[in-house]
Amino acid sequence: MFSSVFKKIAVLSAASSLALLAACGSSQEQAGPAAVTLLTHDSFVVSEALVAQLKKETGITLKITTAGDAGAMLAGAVLAAGSPSADVMFGVDNTLLAKATNADVFSAYTSKNLDLVSPALKTDTGNGVVTPIDYGDVCINIDDAWFRKRNVAVPTSIDQLTQPAYKDLLVVQDPATSSPGLAFMLATQAKFGDQWLSYWKQLEANGVQVSGSWTDAYESAFSASGGTRPLVVSYATSPPAEIVYAANPKPKKPSTSVLTDGCYRQIEFAGVLRGTQNEGAAQQVVDWLLSPAVQADLPLSMFVFPARANTPLPEVFTKFATKVPNPLQLPATVVDANLKTWLNQWDEVMNR
Amino acid sequence: MWVFPALFLCIALGLPLAGVLRNSLSDISAVDFSPQFGIAVTAGGQALISTIGALLIGLPIAGILATYRFRGRGFVQALVTVPFVLPTVVIALAFRELFGSLLSPGLALVVIAHIYINLAVVVRIVGATWQQLDPRMVVAARSLGASPWRAFLTVTLPQLKAVLASAASIVFVFCFTSLGVVLVLGNGGTRTLETQILRQTSLLLDFPTAAITALLQLIVVSIALLLGARASMNATQNARNLRFTRLSVIRGIRARTYVFLVAIAACIFVILPLISLASGSLRDSHGWTLQWWQSLTELDAGTTRLGSPLTAVVTSVKYAVITGFIAGVIGVLAAMSVLSHRLGRAILVIALAPLGISAATLGLGFMLAYGRPPLDLRGADLLIPLAHSIVAVPLVIAVVLPTLRSTDQRFAVAASSLGARPTRAFFTAYGPILRIVAFAAAGLAACVSLGEFGAASFLARSSSPTTPVQIVKLLQRPGDQSFGVACALAVILVLITLTLVAAIDALSRKRWVKV
Repeated sequence: MFSSVFKKIAVLSAASSLALLAACGSSQEQAGPAAVTLLTHDSFVVSEALVAQLKKETGITLKITTAGDAGAMLAGAVLAAGSPSADVMFGVDNTLLAKATNADVFSAYTSKNLDLVSPALKTDTGNGVVTPIDYGDVCINIDDAWFRKRNVAVPTSIDQLTQPAYKDLLVVQDPATSSPGLAFMLATQAKFGDQWLSYWKQLEANGVQVSGSWTDAYESAFSASGGTRPLVVSYATSPPAEIVYAANPKPKKPSTSVLTDGCYRQIEFAGVLRGTQNEGAAQQVVDWLLSPAVQADLPLSMFVFPARANTPLPEVFTKFATKVPNPLQLPATVVDANLKTWLNQWDEVMNR
Repeated sequence: MWVFPALFLCIALGLPLAGVLRNSLSDISAVDFSPQFGIAVTAGGQALISTIGALLIGLPIAGILATYRFRGRGFVQALVTVPFVLPTVVIALAFRELFGSLLSPGLALVVIAHIYINLAVVVRIVGATWQQLDPRMVVAARSLGASPWRAFLTVTLPQLKAVLASAASIVFVFCFTSLGVVLVLGNGGTRTLETQILRQTSLLLDFPTAAITALLQLIVVSIALLLGARASMNATQNARNLRFTRLSVIRGIRARTYVFLVAIAACIFVILPLISLASGSLRDSHGWTLQWWQSLTELDAGTTRLGSPLTAVVTSVKYAVITGFIAGVIGVLAAMSVLSHRLGRAILVIALAPLGISAATLGLGFMLAYGRPPLDLRGADLLIPLAHSIVAVPLVIAVVLPTLRSTDQRFAVAASSLGARPTRAFFTAYGPILRIVAFAAAGLAACVSLGEFGAASFLARSSSPTTPVQIVKLLQRPGDQSFGVACALAVILVLITLTLVAAIDALSRKRWVKV
């Protein structure tokens, strides 16, 4: 008996909701030709002044869209390859690069300033579609005070971590759910080759702890943060970050250091998305990311090293950030071809 | 009337899912099924343990809240609800703070956190039915010499069977599809299909396998929900005839001690992790400090990080209001359809389906359907509240349905027979209840939006992140500062949520709404 009433209510609420949708939709600014959308991951940050400067110098209004972590961002870009929702993408790293190029996400462009990038960083540009912007190393971090207090020698290579002296001291992340965890797994693969699984078997026998996330491993399990384990997989730039993000008054020097063996190099790239309506302006944004001002801003914004050679570094970096002499790296195509198998093998060895 | 919710579900849920499937199932032949089954079994075991734990701990609390009137009852009821609407990541963090030195990540921590979160589901759902049981039957059993325990086993428990099954099915679904808790407190041996989907979408970019895994998850969830829905249909039919909602005064020293102990234990269990968050927001390596609260407005100022931490709170509140509106309207309409349409049960199961749809799947689907022209909703900041509405609608229905069902239709018949036109008669009968129930439902949806993390983290956005996403972002960098400010944000979220839940409870004390 009430169906007509229900109908009326339904129509009314439908109409009001649609009106709300329309109102919200129309408030959206129309992007002019000189507006460029930069698709990036959640960790991306630069100073606002630099965005203003870009607008002043080139007339380009930069809109930043973040889409989860690097993998989630790339997943969206791959599904939308050819008809992208943005013009430029920043944040694909050398682990995922082959996924991006296989899906033909980028159009051909490398920055006109590519020759100013350190040679080691541009061995792979996905056949001329991406430009290296920054790099960092995933390394084991050491709680120095812990070792000093117990008179235990600080490890100098990751081979030693299977020895009884370092039993129950290391915490790593699950490579399936954590980016540094994955990098460390790839580092063992690069260092030990065919023997990498037996290395993990020994680590497991020596009491390695596996956390689901960097947050848990570093903030809870690491002894420098109040946990019980003095060795943790993190970044070579974590010690300077400890200073910058410390409580006031800031400590004079970090209480942690970096094990320079078994480090995996992560390079982050930017590229123009294939199918953009703004090819020219998008290319300018890639150049902007490699400009001296943005490059100098990166270390303190994202705790990475600038890709452009001879970029001046902030003091906290020159003092406390470790430059890793021989970081490990695997070709993007090799990672892409084997990643699934390696993850499954790792699961098997670690009984996950 | 069913057209509108159906249309909404089709557009907001069907379209994105179709997009994912179309993009994924093109080369299904390459999919390797076997590992997913193993994970499903592991996750099923974990969810079963968590469910049993939540029932064991939740039942005594539901019991005292449903039978006795005592000072602080409203507070206890609001308090146990808070964990459910808090971001899982925040809870995981709190537990790690609390048990960090005692328990290493793994099954035990995951299960404890799941019990903590789902306590509210047991207390609220079971409590609502328990409150309607005829207390005279227990009195009769006791006067015939049965101990309280025996009276519970032989009189109360059999009457609760159906609602227990229904609550258990929902808790099982939440634990089976858990993401945030497993990521922070798991050790790789506690994976769920949801973490597998995350791995397949955002690490291996293996969309066919991800789609199959999502489908497998949906099947398991649907089975669990169907079993629960059948039980709850029977339960409400029984309960409709008997409505005793009067609470009794506690008599006797033993009963008094029992109620006191259970209430105190419940409060300690719920509050302890929250206190560890609060203390985290007030401490640094040197001792007590207020600097984290002061830096809420300043941190990351002058960068493109899309606003200070406090901006995230504003964003969250804004999304919560929109979600409350959308999910409130859709949920109430859907509940009315379930009641009045002959395909009610089918509508119910479809409307509950979002409970089992992975946040990663939902996020990707939304990106595909609405993340680009011609329907680019990102700029309008509508994607996230839309996704939140999808997540909240099942819970709104769960709140609205029993209330509407127990409303006496005779009011409407009487009104019509007195000459009221259908519109007037409808509002005479349902108006007062609808007004209250709609507000309670919208409030609940707003709570869900405030705490939602999975879909919000996956969706592309060009404005400030929501508070849970901001908290996780802060936790992803080293240093005391990041941790302290994250804790401060979590405390703000807890306070907003607690206020909202208390407001809903105040409404429901008018006896019409059973949240």
